[in-house]
Amino acid sequence: MILQQPSFFDWLGRNLLACPFKTYFGFDCPGCGLQRSIISLMKGDLIVSFKYYPATIPLILLIIFTGLHLKFDFKFGASAIKFAFLGIAVIVLISYIYKIYNHQLTA
Amino acid sequence: MSDEQQNPPRNNPIDLNKPEQPVGPRSGFGPTTPPPFQQPPPFGQFGGMGGQQNLPNATVALVLGILALPACCFYGIFGLIFGIIAWALGGSDIKKYQLNPTMYTESSYKNAKAGKICGMIATILSLLFIIFFVLIIAGAITHPEAYDRFFKGFN
Repeated sequence: MILQQPSFFDWLGRNLLACPFKTYFGFDCPGCGLQRSIISLMKGDLIVSFKYYPATIPLILLIIFTGLHLKFDFKFGASAIKFAFLGIAVIVLISYIYKIYNHQLTA
Repeated sequence: MSDEQQNPPRNNPIDLNKPEQPVGPRSGFGPTTPPPFQQPPPFGQFGGMGGQQNLPNATVALVLGILALPACCFYGIFGLIFGIIAWALGGSDIKKYQLNPTMYTESSYKNAKAGKICGMIATILSLLFIIFFVLIIAGAITHPEAYDRFFKGFN
């Protein structure tokens, strides 16, 4: 099992879905990095995962919380989901602008 | 004037008993007051036997609205589709709840509102990205040299 896991992640890392936008235009789309980030998260690398795509960890937490909310019906669950979603959208937007501005433009 | 005359129940099977009820003069009242909500829910109708039920699409709207955010890959198209579907489902459920609030549960109404807002945010974000992509593509087609100078190309 321990020997199998790295090869599974290697296989996963070699078989990511390619972003069509990045393939044709050479720079990232707003979702680029999500798959690499999830693989890093499965390996347990929180910092690397954050560097690939900062919104992954809050997004996964939000999805888990939504499942719990739909099951157990928390009192403030719906408004909490709303604000968390808004925060994640802002994270996606800011991280995308930061990434394009700092890593993909030629200075 | 009874309560029922002011506010005729729509789609009510009880209505069939008195089909000759005049409708004409009531429509000429001009701006009427909003329909009073304190009338009891139509018992005997579909699902109205005392217990409240969940709004039909609240959960779907919420889940789609949340999934619309990671679906912004692929030119933002999936994010746009999911977001618009969540927005429309949430909006229709909110209307359904406001027509007779006693029939549906409060929590599912909140879920529908959250789903509508999540769908709205995702739609706006996807639209922003799509506009950005269209500008990029137009720039790459019309000014390829400037594009190559500006962006690090294939590497």
